[in-house]
Amino acid sequence: MNAQRRAKMRVTNMVPDAEYAMQQSQQALSVAMQQVSTGLKINQPSDGPAAAANMVTSLAASANVDQYTSNVSSILSQMETADSAISAVVTSLNTAITLGTSGANGTVTTANKQAIAAQVQGVLTSVISLANTIYQGVYVFGGTESTTPPFVAASTTFTSKQGSAAAPLATATALTAGSVTTISDATTGDTFAFKATAGDTVATLATAVNNAVAAGTLSTGTSATINAAGQLAIGTNSSVAGIVVSSNDAVLGSMIAAPGTGVPNAYAYVGNSSVNSVQVGDSLDVAANLPGSQLFTSGPNLIGSLNGLITVLQTGTTLQIGAATTAVSTGLNYVAQQRIPLDNTISQLNDQESYLGQETVTLTTQQTSLVGANMAEAATNLSQAELTNSAVLASAAKVLPQTLLNYLPPA
Amino acid sequence: MASLSTSLLTAVQALDAVTGALQITNNNIANASTPGYSRQMAVLQEAAPTNDGNISVGNGVVLEGYQSVRDELVQTQIQQETQAQSGANAQLSSLQQIQPTFTTSTQDIGTEMSAMFSSLSSLSTDPTNSADGAAVLTAGQNLATAFNTASNALTSQQTGLNTEVTQDVNQINQLTQQIAALNPKIAELNATGQNGGTLQDQQNQLVLSLSALTSVAVTQTANGVTLTTGNGTPLVVGSKNFTLQTTTGSNGMQQVLDHNGTNITASLTSGDLGGTIQMRDKTIPGLLGQLDTLANQFGTAINAAQETGFDQKGKTGQNFFTIPTTVAGSAATISMAITVPTQIASSSDGTAGSNGNLANLIAVQTTALPAGQTPGDAYANLVYQVGSLTSNATAESGATTASLLQLNDQLNSVSGVSIDEESTNLITFQTAYEAAARVVTTVQALFQITVSMGTAAAE
Repeated sequence: MNAQRRAKMRVTNMVPDAEYAMQQSQQALSVAMQQVSTGLKINQPSDGPAAAANMVTSLAASANVDQYTSNVSSILSQMETADSAISAVVTSLNTAITLGTSGANGTVTTANKQAIAAQVQGVLTSVISLANTIYQGVYVFGGTESTTPPFVAASTTFTSKQGSAAAPLATATALTAGSVTTISDATTGDTFAFKATAGDTVATLATAVNNAVAAGTLSTGTSATINAAGQLAIGTNSSVAGIVVSSNDAVLGSMIAAPGTGVPNAYAYVGNSSVNSVQVGDSLDVAANLPGSQLFTSGPNLIGSLNGLITVLQTGTTLQIGAATTAVSTGLNYVAQQRIPLDNTISQLNDQESYLGQETVTLTTQQTSLVGANMAEAATNLSQAELTNSAVLASAAKVLPQTLLNYLPPA
Repeated sequence: MASLSTSLLTAVQALDAVTGALQITNNNIANASTPGYSRQMAVLQEAAPTNDGNISVGNGVVLEGYQSVRDELVQTQIQQETQAQSGANAQLSSLQQIQPTFTTSTQDIGTEMSAMFSSLSSLSTDPTNSADGAAVLTAGQNLATAFNTASNALTSQQTGLNTEVTQDVNQINQLTQQIAALNPKIAELNATGQNGGTLQDQQNQLVLSLSALTSVAVTQTANGVTLTTGNGTPLVVGSKNFTLQTTTGSNGMQQVLDHNGTNITASLTSGDLGGTIQMRDKTIPGLLGQLDTLANQFGTAINAAQETGFDQKGKTGQNFFTIPTTVAGSAATISMAITVPTQIASSSDGTAGSNGNLANLIAVQTTALPAGQTPGDAYANLVYQVGSLTSNATAESGATTASLLQLNDQLNSVSGVSIDEESTNLITFQTAYEAAARVVTTVQALFQITVSMGTAAAE
């Protein structure tokens, strides 16, 4: 109400106006005090609807950045573990090459070659151990089959749990649609997977195995047959070519290595070639693992070449030892090449960690700007509100008791 | 012809008039703080003169009565502004109770949604980690609870408002009954020339109370005040009041019916009842609808992503959330469908170690739902709306309060009792009384002299 208008008015009671003024100044005081005590100018959505809504989005972005940072840390540790393992593999392979080179010397005696073979065998065991490196329960070189060791000792023959002389399996026995039977070949370094569809029988599987042999995925001689005990037998028919077979078909039951068919120094890769991607930025995903197949078997079959070196050291010629050593050397080069992208990723993750740290600062600044109170301003506002409130209370105390009765003499 | 007796009569008449004026001043002082009281003024009038030939002699003063001082226009404006203020306050009060649910905290939907996506992202670094899987389940449960809590806050508020509708209607009926009862009494006093000021004050105060409850149009007639609702439904005509009824509607909410049984709920827009109905039937259902849509579409998107992958046992992912088939009620009933970490469909190829499908689950965060916004943006929009509605209601409540203060100042400038003024009147009438009393004693003295004159002659 403007002063001019009030001046024309007949003023009868100033209490409502005083009460309103007190209420207003106390509200202002309350708001100023809340801002100073919380450090926030937006304490609830109605204080600034747009800022509150933007805050929701910004906090979600912050939560993501925090999680990306945590992901970087986890992945980095896992990758560094993998990198250390590869580094150790490289060292081991160099040892193997040195041993192979010395074994290829024509002056080395057979007994010495056997001793060297034993040393290379130690190297192979060490490499297999490194290839089965585990980080916080995860086999880092198993692809996405990361809960079981990716490299396992191979055998020449596997038989099904199901099937017996009394209730034999037959080539016409129907397989369970959707079931998968996998054959990992230590010699080729490849894995053959047969996924049964409706109508498939043991014969279909046998045909598929033959086709895989023809394609070079499986070693020559590998076949699937029904043995005399009425079981499905999958084998290589060779004492040096080992495989590992698994199946989740209930008709077959689990596939078990036939006793006494283990192939010395033969290890098959039972992991897969899948790579997990992990998001470490709004638009940045990194490969979180390096499958063992990519590293050790799918290129030059490194594990196989070590096995080959051992074999030729035990029984082969100098020339064969030289060739086998070259094969290991090729494998070493391949592993070294595969390590480069891993190292690049580690470097990228370190960079991303720094970026995310900066991003956290940016988002925090944004959030402070959205809802944070300018403390100097808030403190000034509080002082102003205190002053106003004091003035309102003082004026009310001074004005409200004033009536003509105060000045009239007692009756 | 003037005489001592006439003078005495004039003085006594003046004493009566001034006594009456003092009583009116006394009444004003006594009611200085009574709500709705309009100050009264003594109507003093010169008594008819006595003509004696060419001389006309005044016969003093008479108290004709008193008059309440009113401003009907301002009174009407106050009633209208009270309707607007009560409507805004009803909405503000309700929104202030809803707002904390949508304020950023450790348990609001936005925070829980972020936490769920963070837990999924964490799981992606090690899909077989049972602790990370359990964290995803906990985060999912917390988000479902946040949806349930928000929905419950809205529906509880709606239920409370529904009860208030019935209470408001009962109060309206009581008030219209009291207002109608006063109409014939005021009309009767007016017809007989008596002042119905006190009753009028009471009726105005009742109409003001009614204005706080609902929108009313006020018309003055010879039979007293006629009241109708905003859409013309009669509430009071003469001595008759028309009661409003409530009945449970098809949506389970109380509907307001006029005396003919016509549903007038939607036409009640101001006053506490109007504000309550606005919140109950429009604002809250609007917010609840968006919340249900968000819960339903979010749950559906997560379920769809879950079904594109495989769980830890290699089985096709089952629903992550249990959501109703209809959108309505989704926020209230959304719950976890899976109960163990191994049921999270992290894998894209059926192997336990694959995290390929977690990317699909995480992608829900940045993918627009069918309603057109990402889940986070949809929730931010809800926060904006709640904030905006509360902010607007706060502003309207503040504006109407300030406006009412101004209007009441205006009304008080006309009808309000000023203690200072009344004190002045008190002095004025006291002096007048003393003067009139002095006239009586003077006339008495003159009578004594006159009587003594007779006695002296006899001696």
